[in-house]
Amino acid sequence: MSALLAAEESIPHLARIADQLRQVTVEIRSPGGSGVGAGILWAPDLVVTNAHVARGSCVGVGLADERWIEAHLVVADRRMDLALFRIPRCGVAPAALGDSDTLRVGALVVALGHPLGLRRTLTAGVVHALGPARPGGRRFIHADVRLAPGNSGGPLADTAGQVVGMNTMIAGGLALAIPINDVGRFVASATASTT
Amino acid sequence: MTTVMDLSNALAGAVERVSGWMFAVHGRPRLPSTGVQWRTGLVVTANHTVEHDREVTLTGHDGRSFAASVAGRDPSLDIAVLRAVVDGVSAADVADDGDVRVGHLVMALGAGPRASAGIVSALDVGRGRHAAGDLIAVDLTLYPGFSGGPLVDVRGRVIGITTSGASRHLQCAIRATAVTRLVEHVIRGGRIPRAYLGVGTQPVELPHPLRERLGRAQQTAIIVVHVKSDSPAAGGSRGRASARSGRRSGHDDHSARRRAAGPSGDRR
Repeated sequence: MSALLAAEESIPHLARIADQLRQVTVEIRSPGGSGVGAGILWAPDLVVTNAHVARGSCVGVGLADERWIEAHLVVADRRMDLALFRIPRCGVAPAALGDSDTLRVGALVVALGHPLGLRRTLTAGVVHALGPARPGGRRFIHADVRLAPGNSGGPLADTAGQVVGMNTMIAGGLALAIPINDVGRFVASATASTT
Repeated sequence: MTTVMDLSNALAGAVERVSGWMFAVHGRPRLPSTGVQWRTGLVVTANHTVEHDREVTLTGHDGRSFAASVAGRDPSLDIAVLRAVVDGVSAADVADDGDVRVGHLVMALGAGPRASAGIVSALDVGRGRHAAGDLIAVDLTLYPGFSGGPLVDVRGRVIGITTSGASRHLQCAIRATAVTRLVEHVIRGGRIPRAYLGVGTQPVELPHPLRERLGRAQQTAIIVVHVKSDSPAAGGSRGRASARSGRRSGHDDHSARRRAAGPSGDRR
């Protein structure tokens, strides 16, 4: 969005949080897959992404410092479209998490990912709506943010640089993101059941 | 550091403020549109979203429903004014749209609330059948159901009504002053009057030799190509004369329309 690109020039804050978010946005490469998806560095040894991005029990994870490491599936939930992977401790500080329950319609948000293979690209916009995409469906964050294939699994963050959602799909030109509190519950139950 | 966060909070605050004046308008099958309470009891929406001979209901942000009736329509600006008794809902804070500048950050809102952000890309847009100066072009996405919804500034004041029916090529909003003019017509007379001359015109460029011969500096003129019988234009001898000559050295198409609308900008 052109207005926010202008804002980024005059206000270095957005550029700073973009730098922080680039560090926690990983690339996901599935065996045999041609495209690249995104993921969020959840903990020094955990990466979370969309289940439709990471197919297989072992995927390649690309860090911002150009390292590629091997990740092993902890658990995937196709219905939730979430997958958790364990990586060797990478020494990078994990994502700062926000509270998706306090998100407000109209708030500025940024998305990071690898749209069409353009690595760690930032797009910006506002929260469009909060709620299900269709009656009775699950809750999503609907964002007026331009996404493309390659954004899936990547973070949607607020202006404090805290991750509030996981970009998951594009519907009617809108970005649909899984609220980060839902992702947190998935990770908590996944790690509890495997330890 | 906090400036961007302040801006983000201001935008979210603006959405919450404006959503109190907004309604979902059920005036067509399936997809509801959006309306704004402009004055107490008068709700503005997009004309193309309110079908004729259909019962109209409004749903407020708190889920309450109200019956509404069409009090006036202006198809050329794509604005309909609905009358409804909506207790407990205040009228919108309408800003002076004269302060709006190209590049200003604005949001279009839909019932829900739903939001879309962008910038003002042009002012005084006026093409085709629209009066010049009544439209603001915006660089943002108008999502399905946004028609009739408010265009708001970062302070949460309404500066226009967005509608996809205003232009086929641009994302546009009808200026708040134009909307207020229509609403006041409804308050005064119960209907929205439109200017009617009864001529079909074609704008043309005046070639240089002709401009010299006529002693005029203007670049363009209109050709009267058709005069409807029993129309105001057919009544006067000047109207017949210009129709006979087939060419009339007037002003351009927009200013002709504005002159027909009268010096105050009212359409009579």
